[in-house]
Amino acid sequence: MSTEEIERTFSGGTKYVLDEELAKIVNITMALEMPLLLKGEPGTGKTMLAYAIAESLRMPLIVLNVKSSMKLIDALYQYDTLTRLNDSRFGDSKRDISNIEDYIKMGKIGQAFVADERAVLLIDEIDKADTDFQDDMLDVLDQMEFDILEIDKTIKAKQRPVIVITSNAKKDLSDPFLGRCNFHHIAFPEPDMMREIVQVHFPDINQDLLETAVKAFYRLREFKEVEKKPATRELINWIRAMNADPDFRVKDIIKGDIPYLGVLFKKSPDYAIAQRAVSRHRL
Amino acid sequence: MFTEFFYTLRQVGVPVTPTSFLRLQKALSKGLINSVDDFYISSRAILIKSERYFDLFDQVFAHHFKGVELSDPTEFDLSEAAKALLDAWLKDPQAIADALGIDEDSLAHLSPEELIDYFLERLKEQTEAHHGGSKWIGTGGTSPVGHSGYHPGGMRVGGMSRNKSAVKVAMDRRYRDYSLAGPLTRTHMGEALKRLRNMIPTGPKDRVNIDETIYQTMKNAGEIEIIFERSLKDRLKVILVIDNGGWSMDPYIDMVQSLFDYSRSQFKDLKTYFFHNTIYDYLWVDPPRRSKPYAVDEFVRIDPETRFIIVGDASMAPYEIMATDGSIHLEERSGRPSIERLQFLADNFRHSAWLNPKSSVEWPYTGTINIIRQIFPMFEITLDGLEKMVTHVMSKN
Repeated sequence: MSTEEIERTFSGGTKYVLDEELAKIVNITMALEMPLLLKGEPGTGKTMLAYAIAESLRMPLIVLNVKSSMKLIDALYQYDTLTRLNDSRFGDSKRDISNIEDYIKMGKIGQAFVADERAVLLIDEIDKADTDFQDDMLDVLDQMEFDILEIDKTIKAKQRPVIVITSNAKKDLSDPFLGRCNFHHIAFPEPDMMREIVQVHFPDINQDLLETAVKAFYRLREFKEVEKKPATRELINWIRAMNADPDFRVKDIIKGDIPYLGVLFKKSPDYAIAQRAVSRHRL
Repeated sequence: MFTEFFYTLRQVGVPVTPTSFLRLQKALSKGLINSVDDFYISSRAILIKSERYFDLFDQVFAHHFKGVELSDPTEFDLSEAAKALLDAWLKDPQAIADALGIDEDSLAHLSPEELIDYFLERLKEQTEAHHGGSKWIGTGGTSPVGHSGYHPGGMRVGGMSRNKSAVKVAMDRRYRDYSLAGPLTRTHMGEALKRLRNMIPTGPKDRVNIDETIYQTMKNAGEIEIIFERSLKDRLKVILVIDNGGWSMDPYIDMVQSLFDYSRSQFKDLKTYFFHNTIYDYLWVDPPRRSKPYAVDEFVRIDPETRFIIVGDASMAPYEIMATDGSIHLEERSGRPSIERLQFLADNFRHSAWLNPKSSVEWPYTGTINIIRQIFPMFEITLDGLEKMVTHVMSKN
């Protein structure tokens, strides 16, 4: 590694608490120039990691939100035939109709390839797309180039982007896909880690509130029947809600009166279970 | 380097590929890995591709770098029990020493490994002697797993600290919950069923068909003619037929049914029927199978493209399926054996499948399963089985 590269290693963002393990994985992934595949419970900061990398390394971030109907070509480039047709009919634009390249627009992956600086490319929720999409996309990311068929031109990446891929799937992705990625599973943070995370988001939070909220939160996560357990994201929103409420007192939680359960439990059966349990046990 | 480590991983069944191993070598040669901790983290990120194998990886790592015994799954449960015992002992050395029948002093002289061995030995005897209700192992509730206890000889038990060495971290086996053995949950099955879909154009014509637009425009001598079309929506019809009679099916009925209900919005139509053991002249719309019968013959009127999925253990006495009066319910006397009805359904619906909660290993030993398998393709209710089932009912022929 050159000195310059060493300077550009990742050590966390202003709003992201990074455990050492993950920092090492990010750095080694960047050094090996491989995509990093992240899995983990929803709301544990998979997507936020990409934002944090972009922020701390001062790279532009390009986000590709995968949709189930998406085709690979949409992520690479788009040939705007309708505009061209329109121009050819009316001829009132400055574009050159005989030059197809004027009508090619780069998709998110294309943008990351042609960007002048090295960018962070976040491919969010890859599991939504079908397997063919995933495999084909990895081919492109492996070769770092793709062809634009219409103008017979190959687009090569100027700078190899830092690629972060997230997946919510419990099911594994295909083998060829996995073979080309580094993998990490973000485990749910321990209470200590969670306190740090909350502190980063609310630098001047009342210590009493922090302590009680985190404690109550982990107790609320223990309900077995709940389908979608509240995660980091919910906790942060919850604290934000309590902070915003002028009538709220920390004592209420200690007394067992938990406000804004709806912020934590978003499915109605879950909400009902939580409410029942809270009123019964006086948490 | 670390070739042995690599092969141990392969041996215990972690799918690691040579390519990823070479990549690890590359990382090593670049000087990116400078300590055992680094090696633990990077080798896991590079070699292991699913959190389900993290636990096995941890075990192999601990084995390789610390000489920890690789455990069989059965032994493992014992060692967990031993850990609980050790904890109890740390609280009250005297009591346990008495229980084991050796005095406290000689216990203190044993090394941690010897101690564990000793415990395991005793524990095996114990489980055999008091089947089910040994007070030793009954730690649930009385012995919360303690932190930071110390064996007089110096071994640390359980406990958490912030700066643990990689080997310690590996020994913690934090990823046990993610390993393959976990139960099949609704989310798991939802994943598998996602692919059960059949796209058909519906709704308003709000999408531009570019090819057609260009073609029509050219035909129109360059005067632009934009052609719209309908977007694609999933319009699959599914019939779910569930055996809710036998005890064996009970744990699965809720899961299977709620699952298909869950994805109901995705289908155009989802109907559920019930039966007991096998199908005769009637299926039932109501779960108690009493008030709302539905004649099997009526199925000819239903779109044959409907996906027909039966869930049942297919295990019964052979006469129930082969004899003309096979039903164990007296009121179901039709004169036609069940096997004919099943064949009729299979002929009627080209895309059909049978889901069986029994493990496929047991299938060859049950006669009726073998018979039914010849009529309906049978799949296990596991993630794998569901996926195969989906592929099968979605295939063109």
